[in-house]
Amino acid sequence: MDATYIQESIEQLKTNIFMHVRHRTLLQYTGDPVLDENQLFYLLMPFLNGEKWNEQIQKSAITVGIVHASLSEHDKIDEKNATSKEQQLTVLSGDYYSGRYYEILAQAGNIPLIKQLSEGIAIRCEHQIKVYETNSLTLNDWYETISVVQTELIKRFYQVYGFEQYSTFMHTSLLLLQLQKELHYIQKGNKSLLQEKMIESATKEGQPFELLLQQKIDDLKDLLHEYLRSSTIKDELKLYIEQQTGF
Amino acid sequence: MEKMKLKLLYSDLKADIDIIEKELEVALNSSSHLINDASLHLLQAGGKRIRPVFVLISAKFGQYNIDQVKNIAVPLELIHSASLVHDDVIDDSDLRRGRHTVKAQWNNRVAMYTGDFIFARALEYVTSIENPRVHQILAKTMVEICNGEVIQIEDKFRNNQNIKDYFRRIKRKTALLIESSCELGAVVSGLDDKNVRHLKQFGYFVGMSYQIVDDILDFTATDKELGKPAGSDLLQGNITLPILLLKDHPTISKFIESAANGDVTEQQRLEMLHIVRKSDAIKQSISISNHYLRKALKEVDALPNHPMKKKLRDIALFIGKRKF
Repeated sequence: MDATYIQESIEQLKTNIFMHVRHRTLLQYTGDPVLDENQLFYLLMPFLNGEKWNEQIQKSAITVGIVHASLSEHDKIDEKNATSKEQQLTVLSGDYYSGRYYEILAQAGNIPLIKQLSEGIAIRCEHQIKVYETNSLTLNDWYETISVVQTELIKRFYQVYGFEQYSTFMHTSLLLLQLQKELHYIQKGNKSLLQEKMIESATKEGQPFELLLQQKIDDLKDLLHEYLRSSTIKDELKLYIEQQTGF
Repeated sequence: MEKMKLKLLYSDLKADIDIIEKELEVALNSSSHLINDASLHLLQAGGKRIRPVFVLISAKFGQYNIDQVKNIAVPLELIHSASLVHDDVIDDSDLRRGRHTVKAQWNNRVAMYTGDFIFARALEYVTSIENPRVHQILAKTMVEICNGEVIQIEDKFRNNQNIKDYFRRIKRKTALLIESSCELGAVVSGLDDKNVRHLKQFGYFVGMSYQIVDDILDFTATDKELGKPAGSDLLQGNITLPILLLKDHPTISKFIESAANGDVTEQQRLEMLHIVRKSDAIKQSISISNHYLRKALKEVDALPNHPMKKKLRDIALFIGKRKF
């Protein structure tokens, strides 16, 4: 196994997800579902590390990808104006993907995963909506929110199949990758609502946001480095994670 | 008034409906105060709760156990509510049942997350039922409803659509969820396949009639009764049965064109309403709705003797004759 094999496995999973949610009209107006390759990698990590993996687990991984795609569609909806045909169909593509994940798991009779994923989606929504709430949150609270959004569904998948030993890697790595994205975005002069809220929290803590964010990234890198050093996962996976996170 | 009449019709189910209401509140309880506010806002707007009622009544034909039946009645109402929250974003609706929609009260994104949260809670709730058949029926329904909504958007302002297109659309938009409510109520109470089928068919026919009446009322009821301007469906490009029956009328054709361009004046809206109300299209639409009701009643006749048969008939007839 090398980086090419890992990449091919991710591409294969992506293709499988696309196949399961293919819809002529939605494809025409909203394009392919949005999938995060880093999240797909962590869905496949137990398989790539040689864990027992069967048709049911593979199908389950596909449905977790579908749920991510569903929620990503709704992230594209404009706060104020969603009247264009493209936006209207984006609302529906999210709902359609959501219906499809349920349908696939229902056909397989996989009620435990339906339960875990629906619990996970509810928690993720509670975190995503925080940017519209008036509560005052600390920067650590926002890191927690980012972490939940990135990892909650994969965590649930791991729980159902007994892959919890990969949770620490997945958690640290996906948070690190997302914070790197946030830093990059802000350094390019952009600012999302979440970042505005984070800056507000950093100001209250009396420190420049970018500095605090960089510190957090460095801390996470150190932590991940430590995990990798002491872990028994395959070397090829360690190398992939190192390259992924820019060591 | 109409809602009161309906409540009277199922007054002997009140204790169980109260359980459902309480469970709806529990199911929507969230650690997010914004989701709590938005959900409470939705619950307080009420609604006829016809889907849970059909679940309860259908379940009465089998081994009725409210602790079991509520596990499907609650999710069905939640799925209906969640789809309304998202529909309001799609339709850019600020008012529903005379109250501000979630998207108007907060914004589109809050509506998306609230809707997703409610959908998730619905599925979480229904997982207390282990029978895969229940999940397969519900999942298929959710996907089909969504397909129906996609078709509805594709059909907006489309002049060359016919009545068959309309029936296909309303089947998915409304009839399917009522059909599934009856079917799932029957399945969870262990009814035999033959009677499950009768109840399912009953739900389908009632659902078709329900949507046709809804589409008629959009023209015939007052703005106050509707909680939104009469004729809103057509303004949004939804060409419903009364309009399909009138689509060769020159003023109506012109109105559809103006609506597609978004330049309808209040005067034009009132003129359109006047034409529709005094035309035969309303009578013809009622007659088609009644045709579906008769089919629904035939399905009731085929069910075994049970006090709930009268209830099904009464509710079906109420739906066909309701004023708003």
